Amino acid sequence: MIRFLDIANHTLFWYYLASNFAYLLMLMIALKTSAAHQRSLESHRLSWINDSPMAPPIAIIAPAHNEEGSIRVAVRNLLELDYPELEVIVVNDGSEDRTLEEMREEFRLRLVRAVYIPEVKSAPVRGLYRSDVDTRLLVVDKEPGGSKADAVNAGLNAANSPYVCVVDADSVLERDALLRIMVPILEDPKRVVAVGGIIRVLNGSEIQGGTLRRVRLPRKSIEVIQVIEYLRAFLIGREAWAQGNMLTIISGAFGLFRTDLVRAVGGYRASSIGEDFDLVARMHRHLLEKRASYQIRFVPDPMCWTEAPSDLKSLGRQRQRWQKGLLDVLWPNRDMLFRPRYGRIGSFALPYLWIFELFAPVFELGGIATIILAASLGVLSREFFLQFLIFGYAFATVISIGSVLQEEITYKRYNDWQDVARLVSYCFLEHFPYRQMHMVWRLQGLWQYFRGDFAWKPLKRKGIQSVQAP
Amino acid sequence: MESIFERLWKLGPSAFVLKAIVAAIVADALLLAFILLRRTYRKRYFARRDARVFELRQQWDALVSGKIPYESWRKKPFDRRIVETMALDAFEASGAGESARLLKFLRQSGLIEKRIFEARRQTGWRRMRSLVALGRTRAPEGIPALAEALRDRDLEVRLAALRGLGRTACPEAGEEILAWVGEKGLCVPALPLQSALIQCCVERPQLLLPYVQHAEGPLREVLGRVLGEVATPSLGLDLLQFVGDDLDELRAAAARAMSHTKSGLAFDLLNELARDPIWFVRLRAIVSLGKLSEPRAIPSLLRGLMDSNRLVRLRAAEALVELDIRMAPIFEQVVETGDRYGLHAYLTALENANLRAKLEQELQSSTEIREEVRDRLQKVLRTGTLPAGETAASEGSPDKAALLP
Repeated sequence: MIRFLDIANHTLFWYYLASNFAYLLMLMIALKTSAAHQRSLESHRLSWINDSPMAPPIAIIAPAHNEEGSIRVAVRNLLELDYPELEVIVVNDGSEDRTLEEMREEFRLRLVRAVYIPEVKSAPVRGLYRSDVDTRLLVVDKEPGGSKADAVNAGLNAANSPYVCVVDADSVLERDALLRIMVPILEDPKRVVAVGGIIRVLNGSEIQGGTLRRVRLPRKSIEVIQVIEYLRAFLIGREAWAQGNMLTIISGAFGLFRTDLVRAVGGYRASSIGEDFDLVARMHRHLLEKRASYQIRFVPDPMCWTEAPSDLKSLGRQRQRWQKGLLDVLWPNRDMLFRPRYGRIGSFALPYLWIFELFAPVFELGGIATIILAASLGVLSREFFLQFLIFGYAFATVISIGSVLQEEITYKRYNDWQDVARLVSYCFLEHFPYRQMHMVWRLQGLWQYFRGDFAWKPLKRKGIQSVQAP
Repeated sequence: MESIFERLWKLGPSAFVLKAIVAAIVADALLLAFILLRRTYRKRYFARRDARVFELRQQWDALVSGKIPYESWRKKPFDRRIVETMALDAFEASGAGESARLLKFLRQSGLIEKRIFEARRQTGWRRMRSLVALGRTRAPEGIPALAEALRDRDLEVRLAALRGLGRTACPEAGEEILAWVGEKGLCVPALPLQSALIQCCVERPQLLLPYVQHAEGPLREVLGRVLGEVATPSLGLDLLQFVGDDLDELRAAAARAMSHTKSGLAFDLLNELARDPIWFVRLRAIVSLGKLSEPRAIPSLLRGLMDSNRLVRLRAAEALVELDIRMAPIFEQVVETGDRYGLHAYLTALENANLRAKLEQELQSSTEIREEVRDRLQKVLRTGTLPAGETAASEGSPDKAALLP
């Protein structure tokens, strides 16, 4: 028993060390590449893309389910985006409220017989509506499909552009977000098949008429911690993975894909829990099996602002779902692990996700349990425990502060001194007890997956109209 | 008394872990200090800069006209940077008269000479900043210094020079860039090169033609894309040579450029390109045929309406709808194709343009169309479906497996 506890404690220590070193490496890569990206931005003028007759058309697909409170603002925001060739497809996914009526009134929708080719699976369509106010707007009214994936698939079937940009109807895109996300495609249109954009936390910021007016840090601790998590995940994690063409997730709230490729892999899998991760994994598999030369890129500057859960219950549900989604993708793709034909994805990206994302709650919570057990049996080395605590805490805060630094020296969206001070202080506070709570949610997610509990549990949201600075 | 470090050191057997702890804490402290100091410095710097900008703005006309001696601010780097930035910002936003005045000011005050000197003699980021600033002045005398920097070993310097040349937006800079890529090939990322060439060649796209003819590989693709972007009606006939080119981009560029050329030859070649095996070449050709707005294009547009690619079908439909002729005969021909996907594309374009009512009215009042044909067309327009037995064999194409809602 004592031997077991000793081995378990040491395993936990080395696991933690490896995990933090991996993130430290990513932080260094991200700092370097962000600086290069900032410089490269000086080379091109976004206005040139906006004026170009050769800019490839983009179809924005925004699924909406019971969004009566925010749909007008959200659609207006999408129509106001800077891009020369844009079609906006809002998919009303069987809303039971007045979502469709709101759009009908605001945008003077009329029933049309637009082209709809069901190349990917989706629930039946009730009707297609074109706006008289802005003909770029097409509304697909469909039977409820029970998932976002099903709604996006309907949008894909109606899309007529070579690129599709999938966004959440309750997110706010910055005006030039599409121009910025198109830069990698214009650089290398033959190889770049998808581009992910950055998602930032909207809570606390000031919104006016669907447009972000002022960026502020949210008031609640739970929301501020999520800001740090998002900065770490996007500005460090995705930035670094994308450098090695190993990006496995493009957030469902804002991502751009080549339409023909999404259709070729069968669109979104309606039964998947993490549909965004699932799609990118299938795209990698499809292209690697075809031995195609391709790139999936990440651009840190096109900003999409989204509302993060503001209560523990909703946050817990979200994280449980993310963990279920992770397993739901990793398990069917386990055959990609360490197979040469799947290149770096099979050799690095997926093993990393298995070890440091999927098993993280098992290792961390298991480690805590063995430490408590060892302490209760009187076999815990006090020195080891103390060292472990100090080291783990200090190292983790380096990564968190590093992500704040990355934000500071590159995009600097939090201008207020108070905001930065709070952001930095939460870098020290997030590791206890939030991190442990987070691990419990993730473990619950795994448990739910094995129990077959795949039900969609709604998250409490305020809607973008009401997200205002205090 | 033992220090805290000595006590910590005695705690555990692993010196590595303790060192790692110390390193992590030091890293935390350094990161925090950096953020704090940077914020403080920037806050002070911007406050000072704002105040000085305000002062200089009050004296702007005197500064530009030289009433305030140039030496009074040129010797102070802080003031010089502010004046230069203000002048360049104003220069980029001003009309012809004001920009001439500002260019004269930049020359007389020696700012351009200084930037030329820095672009040649400085290194690192100072040189890069000078190159971009020099480009922003749009002064022709800055082009040789920028062109020299294009041949630098450092990619970042080459990119800065490219940005600078792009900012000049003059054909002479375009010539320098083209001569350089002709000599060195594609040794910078495609997008900055494309962007700079578009800005420089927009006035004189002919510059590109010899280079496109002789370039190879990815460079040819980039130049082809630039040509497609800047091509004007005047270039139409020069582009005919690319109609049969191996490079898809060039054929597409040729198709696009010919949208303004009214010559009969261009029309025939567009018809040929509308049958190209590559979809985006067909797409460009169909769009160009649509822009010609001529009834002669109708057969090609109708063929485009039955294309296997949905984008081509939609663009062909839009072009047919936008033709400034009577719609009823066109609609009759669309129905006669027997292609329900084509019909749908046409109806979509019709509804998008809000012209359905107009077509209904035309059909109602038409005396040229026989009554039974008219009834049939009205029914097709009303239901959106072709009468039974009228679907074309071409519909077997996998891209056209349509289900109409």
